[in-house]
Amino acid sequence: MSWVRAILLARSLSRGWGGIFGATLTGAPISEVPPQTPQSFHCGAATHNSELSLVPGPPEPQRKPIKALSPYEDLFRQAPGVERDKASFVRTVQNFGQHNVHKRGHVDFIYLALRKMREFGVERDLAVYNLLLDVFPKEVFRPRNIFQHIFVHYPRQQECGIAVLEQMENNGVMPDKETEFLLIQIFGRKSYPMLKFLRMKLWLPRFKNINPFPVPRDLPQDPVDLAKLGLRHMEPDLSAKVTVYQMPLSKDWTGALDPTQPHIVGIQSPNQQAALARHNPARPVFVEGPFSLWLRNKCVYYHILRADLLPPEEREVEEIPEEWNLYYPMQLDLEYARSGWDDYEFDIDEVEEGPVFAMCMAGAHDQATLAKWIQGLQETNPALAQIPVVFRLARSTGELLTSSPGLEEPARPPPPEGQEEEDTLQRQQQGQS
Amino acid sequence: MSGCVLFLRAAAVTRACQPLVAFTASRRALRTSPPLRAFAKELFLGKIKKKEVFPFPEVSRDELNEINQFVGPVEKFFTEEVDSRKIDQEGKIPEETLEKLKNLGLFGMQVPEEYGGLGLSNTMYARLGEIISLDASIAVTLAAHQAIGLKGIILAGTEEQKAKYLPKLASGEHIAAFCLTESASGSDAASIRSRATLSEDKKHYVLNGSKVWITNGGAADIFTVFAKTEVANSDGSVKDKITAFIVERDFGGVTSGKPEDKLGIRGSNTCEVHFENTRVPVENVLGEVGNGFKVAVNILNSGRFSMGSAVAGMLKKLIEMTAEYACTRKQFNRNLSEFGLIQEKFALMAQKAYVMESMTYLTAGMLDQPGFPDYSIEAAMVKVFSSEAAWQCVSEALQILGGSGYMRDYPYERMLRDTRILLIFEGTNEILRMFIALTGLQHAGRVLTARINELKRGRVITIMETIGRRLRDSLGRTVDLGLTGELGLVHPSLADSASKLEENVYYFGRTVETLLLRFGKTIVEEQLVMKRVPLRPHRASQP
Repeated sequence: MSWVRAILLARSLSRGWGGIFGATLTGAPISEVPPQTPQSFHCGAATHNSELSLVPGPPEPQRKPIKALSPYEDLFRQAPGVERDKASFVRTVQNFGQHNVHKRGHVDFIYLALRKMREFGVERDLAVYNLLLDVFPKEVFRPRNIFQHIFVHYPRQQECGIAVLEQMENNGVMPDKETEFLLIQIFGRKSYPMLKFLRMKLWLPRFKNINPFPVPRDLPQDPVDLAKLGLRHMEPDLSAKVTVYQMPLSKDWTGALDPTQPHIVGIQSPNQQAALARHNPARPVFVEGPFSLWLRNKCVYYHILRADLLPPEEREVEEIPEEWNLYYPMQLDLEYARSGWDDYEFDIDEVEEGPVFAMCMAGAHDQATLAKWIQGLQETNPALAQIPVVFRLARSTGELLTSSPGLEEPARPPPPEGQEEEDTLQRQQQGQS
Repeated sequence: MSGCVLFLRAAAVTRACQPLVAFTASRRALRTSPPLRAFAKELFLGKIKKKEVFPFPEVSRDELNEINQFVGPVEKFFTEEVDSRKIDQEGKIPEETLEKLKNLGLFGMQVPEEYGGLGLSNTMYARLGEIISLDASIAVTLAAHQAIGLKGIILAGTEEQKAKYLPKLASGEHIAAFCLTESASGSDAASIRSRATLSEDKKHYVLNGSKVWITNGGAADIFTVFAKTEVANSDGSVKDKITAFIVERDFGGVTSGKPEDKLGIRGSNTCEVHFENTRVPVENVLGEVGNGFKVAVNILNSGRFSMGSAVAGMLKKLIEMTAEYACTRKQFNRNLSEFGLIQEKFALMAQKAYVMESMTYLTAGMLDQPGFPDYSIEAAMVKVFSSEAAWQCVSEALQILGGSGYMRDYPYERMLRDTRILLIFEGTNEILRMFIALTGLQHAGRVLTARINELKRGRVITIMETIGRRLRDSLGRTVDLGLTGELGLVHPSLADSASKLEENVYYFGRTVETLLLRFGKTIVEEQLVMKRVPLRPHRASQP
């Protein structure tokens, strides 16, 4: 009995000591810490800050993932039932000043607040950023004499100010006069945050509309709409037609799509249609994929239907008719042309790709779904019925649009010849039936 | 080009009292090779061929009297009996007007006399065109009938075809139309879809197809139709080539759609024409089978120059009407005509009218010379300049009238709408600019090939010469092409402008050479560069 008690006592003692050891031996190898108390060590690590700092830490109700929490984490934890939104964030920030008049630890607080903004959904709100800048004490960090001007006065605070502006820039928020006034009040006119502010004022308007193919900020949640957006984003030809070959069965917002009927959305332009009609049926076309496309923070996958390039002997030379234009000669019969040094054509790669006939985005990445796509394509491209289609599907990568695990297909090696013919026969029959 | 010809014409006016140079005499001189008749083409090389334009081609006294006899009644008819406003509102030309036009013989102005036409030369045709253009719809109808409709028969027709069709066409009993444009092919001849297949008995062609925007399509009886036929090559392969046919409405299967509602020239009849299994006898092939392309090009190139004089006539009338208004209307106690900006507008109109008139008569005179000279570039230049000048000047005239110019009671808005089509039909201005640039560059390129080859190969002497010339040019040299000075052909009062002209032409030649050196035959793709080629002398010579 006493032996058990002694061990228990030893455990509780080492727990206490281990905590302090953990605090002082940051970075020390774990073997030094008594191995019997791994959990207590973690427990200690979680609370070591609160044990060391003068401010008593809050009670830890449940286990947290292993992360070093900053001291003001609790301020951002809302009471259950209170939604995390702008009002609560603003309240939290305003409450910070109430803890201590001198605003100790404001730098850490601001860094933490910047990290928390996304959870509260306020990362695009200019007023919130101004409020955050307001947390800095005013007039303290302004340099007053030439030496303070030469050396970076209060570098940590200036870095923090720059971090706030950086996050504004990353989220595309344009600072305004209030921000400028705050920065001048806090850091003075010749500080690094002010410099960054001026650069933002110059460049952000110029870069605002610089993307000729912008992706909208609010991406649609519906996978079919997202697929349509993605396909239109990829296709350069504006006259291409998007067709929804199959809609998912369940349309309610449970989030999980029915695995038996995924959505299939395809796109094809008239030029591609004509090229497919001209394609030689003796050569196969390949369904390749899935390839990933990132739209802001969402990843979608698409497949393409393509064929290989014809070897140079078989390519038909474009004939230039002699009597072509009624009004002016289309060709001058002179011997000299533009020299090599005058060639301003874009020279990215000398590699020519074979023709791509259509693209699609589907909920599932297996042959059955894509076969349905091909069937749908056959309606507008009757020539496809005669052309052998080979499925070259790669192993589907981790992130899928649909989260149901049943769709994780194993890798598909290129099917053997017999199966190919079966596929084509099947397809022809289906096409004809 | 306009500035260039402006000065040439100015020079000619001062020498109008000079006796006419006997062209025939100069032609009978001994030559080893036929004379290269190319004025505009030589401009591309930086030279002015003085023999072509100095002196200005003039008509003889007899011709002048003859034409004045024609001009009188026609002018009277147009000023008194043609109601342009009514034609525009109703969208058709009244029958009586057409009858009177037929009686005046205006339906066969260029048809030779033995077939019943007036047999006018190009100059006289241009002169009459000045008067006819008082009403745009009538002018377009007549032009579609004779300048393109029956021109094919005159240029490429056999004697039997001419004897069969021209008399009726000249008297106006039958009206002709020119059917080339389809919905999918405007300037692109290779994409014509109408087909003519030879029947089994080899006596007929069966014609199938439809043409759009055919002037006179509804009223015409004789169509010049272009369709694709299969032509066997000498090595046995079969190719599709265009052939021209004379198709009568009586052959059956010819239907015309409803007249199109247009912005301007509403009196002329424009509609679609469909050919369904029309049987065309083999004798009605114009030119040879498979030669339709060249026939089309010749027809199109030959009728262009008359637009200049038509527009000039219209502008003169316009100046008359507008001047009357400007001199009577008073604002701020002064007549409008005393204000500088208004005077500038009138000066612009007068200058443009003068230039296009002189350009047209120069081209017409050059075309009237015996032989078949190729002045297609000059004709294209006339068309481009006059259509753009017309649009600009009518706009300015409307502006002078201010609010009343905008009202339908006055003819200005009708004229504005009518002149808009000038920039589009008979070859759009962009296409013709390409044509002028490319044809000129081709001509210059052939001549300069030898030198450019040497340069490219790197012969030191040529390179040094070129560098020397460029340095001298950049330092500013005086160019003397023989227009000014002691033996100059230009009157001393115009010496200043003439020397500027010489310089411009010289530098134009240098520019052309530089372009060819840089681009060579790939200049066909550089339309933005070529657009400036016809523009440069024009801009450079404007003040």
